[in-house]
Amino acid sequence: MEVKSMEIEGSEVVAESIKVKEIIIEEISRNHKLLHRHKLSQQQIHIGRDYHNDIILADPHICPSHLSIEQVNGQWQITDNQTVNGSFIENVNEKKHVADRHIINDGDVITLGKSQLRILFTDHPVEPTLAFSPFESFINLMRHPIALLLSIALFTLIAGGVFYLNTPKDVNFSQLLVPTIGMALGFALWPAGVALVSHLSKHDARIMTQLGISFAFFNLMWFSDFLESIITFNSASGSIAPLFVMFTSIVLAFSLFWLNGYIGFHMSSKRRIIVAASITLLLFGGSYLVQYSKKPEFNPRPQYDATIMMPSFLITSSASVDDFIEDSSKLFDKTKEETLKK
Amino acid sequence: MKAFLSLVFILLSSSSYATEQAEQLFNQLKPSLYQIKLIDKASGEKSSIGSGFQISNDGIIATNYHVISSYALHPKKYRIEYLDNQGNKGELSLQSVDVINDLALVRRTVTQEMKFFQLSQATPHKGEKLFSLGNPHDLGMIVVPGTYNGLKKESFNDRIHFTGSINSGMSGGPVVNKDAEVVGVNVATSGNSIGFLVPHDKLVTLYNNYLKTPPNSIEQQMAEQLMASQNKLITAILDSPWQAKQLGENAIIPIIDVPFIRCWGDSNADKADALILTAVANCSLDENTYISSRFFTGSMEIEFRTMQAKDIGANKFYHLYQQQISRAGAGNRADKENVTEFQCHNDLVMPDNQAINNKSIFCTRAYKKFPDLFDVLYLSASVDKDNQAIVSHFTIAGISQPNALAFTRQFMEAVSWK
Repeated sequence: MEVKSMEIEGSEVVAESIKVKEIIIEEISRNHKLLHRHKLSQQQIHIGRDYHNDIILADPHICPSHLSIEQVNGQWQITDNQTVNGSFIENVNEKKHVADRHIINDGDVITLGKSQLRILFTDHPVEPTLAFSPFESFINLMRHPIALLLSIALFTLIAGGVFYLNTPKDVNFSQLLVPTIGMALGFALWPAGVALVSHLSKHDARIMTQLGISFAFFNLMWFSDFLESIITFNSASGSIAPLFVMFTSIVLAFSLFWLNGYIGFHMSSKRRIIVAASITLLLFGGSYLVQYSKKPEFNPRPQYDATIMMPSFLITSSASVDDFIEDSSKLFDKTKEETLKK
Repeated sequence: MKAFLSLVFILLSSSSYATEQAEQLFNQLKPSLYQIKLIDKASGEKSSIGSGFQISNDGIIATNYHVISSYALHPKKYRIEYLDNQGNKGELSLQSVDVINDLALVRRTVTQEMKFFQLSQATPHKGEKLFSLGNPHDLGMIVVPGTYNGLKKESFNDRIHFTGSINSGMSGGPVVNKDAEVVGVNVATSGNSIGFLVPHDKLVTLYNNYLKTPPNSIEQQMAEQLMASQNKLITAILDSPWQAKQLGENAIIPIIDVPFIRCWGDSNADKADALILTAVANCSLDENTYISSRFFTGSMEIEFRTMQAKDIGANKFYHLYQQQISRAGAGNRADKENVTEFQCHNDLVMPDNQAINNKSIFCTRAYKKFPDLFDVLYLSASVDKDNQAIVSHFTIAGISQPNALAFTRQFMEAVSWK
């Protein structure tokens, strides 16, 4: 790899005698975020705080005429003008060293004062083009004001329905309104928070898109909850069907976080997967941990599944009393084994 | 006037006669009465107190099991001590227990033959005057006169109903008739001068069995007694007629026709704003075998509940109905030391007669010290009608696997729609 780049530089030397080589100077933040980009084609470039310079930096720790970059024999060389705070080359895989007299390589980062400049040549390789993800059309659909309104309305309606179904008293419409709107607002905090973070980290906020996607997924999660109830209701204990539904809800959460990241931040797909997986783990692992830490050392109450639904949701046939007694009798041996454990 | 005076005189004389009699009895019996203390070895202080009385010339003392239960379960942690009427102390050794009737035999060392209580040959007659002896709240030995009121009704294990105040600390003390013969042992009170005694024949049986074959291990003896008792109970229940009875408008439930299971009922018919009309029938065995202060067994509860939706849809009805059945708990108190956690099975179940379709839940936990005994819990909720439901539920503490399954089967088949 290194040999190849040397070769390229060699060929550049030949070209140099004909015209001045172009250079790109990027002002970058401490965490290497791009702030400004300058493309220059001149023999000598002056950088500093006063207004004669080609690149004017406002950092108070930089001298008025801080440094200059000059093209000599097809190579760029840095000259530090005996500055108060000095200039340094700070590359990832090299030790930090003084920048004066340094011959610039493609991608070098110069630190001056508290600012950083990254120098690139025109032949600096760029990342391959990112194709639109297949979700793009889905995202665009969900961002549409009508779709957004519909999914929030659906969410609110379901939330209201759930409140209604679980209240043991007679409730009127206005009594339902407050908790329902509260719940919708509460759930809107997540997409709003993500949008805020992406705004603060110099990305597009895209709040409508975040809201649209999040509420679409919240509705999907309602649906998976409902599906889970039906399946648990229709299956005996020990069946693995409810586990599949649990898995679905994990997948849904992961997809939501992945899309939140996709919409709000520019990052590599690997990183996005890691971030989405970590948040999912935090959510499910965290809630598991909370449950686990609350669990008493000994629980005198039985833990059983009491899911029942109205007869229309009953889709399986029932077992006979014999089968039930047979299955229940297995519990005795299981608990007896427990007594042998110390 | 004259008649009135004579009446007062009779009353006075009879009461003074009773006092005199009690005093005489007490003086005669006090050398054979003991206070029994459980001493925690590590701290050297007493952890529980009760009373006891000598029933043989060679030092066998009878008391309640619950007085010495901590020792029976943790013999390394405690020792048992007696304190006699002259203030002498000495150590006691545990010989035998009857955990079902709450009796225990302990032995003191004797150097010479000693006086002891005679056990009565006959049961008292109703209204007979009896005297309960014991040391309430560590205040000193006292004598309490009272009346024999027969055996407690509806009780699976016989208890004498004694009208007279028995207080804690008197547990294990004897109750004698006017001839100073023991007819019962103080065991419990339900306040307001209602006391309960273990009939003397239980003590006679325990003592005779002890003389024949002393137990090898107290824990094993307890396990056998618990096993035998639940066998007797469940056999009696399964052999009795189960009468089909209507609950609410459409439910058929079984009422087990045995005197020791008593039922109570309630409904919310008076609440106009209730969304669900509920009727409840609650039956229970009024029995609770004390093993330790944190572990009771032998109890049984049965509950039936019918629900009828009023002006609400099926979906809401089932949501509220689910809340009703989601928090069933064990019927007896038990801790980690004595039982495992519950394990449950649930399924949709329809009996062969297809009269009802239920979601049924069966849970059980095993006893750690008494092998092959379990607590079981059953809960069943009908899921075949849009706006009506029957919940049937029972808990049984300290039952064997075959008995539990046999009872569950019969119970499941006895609940149905009309």
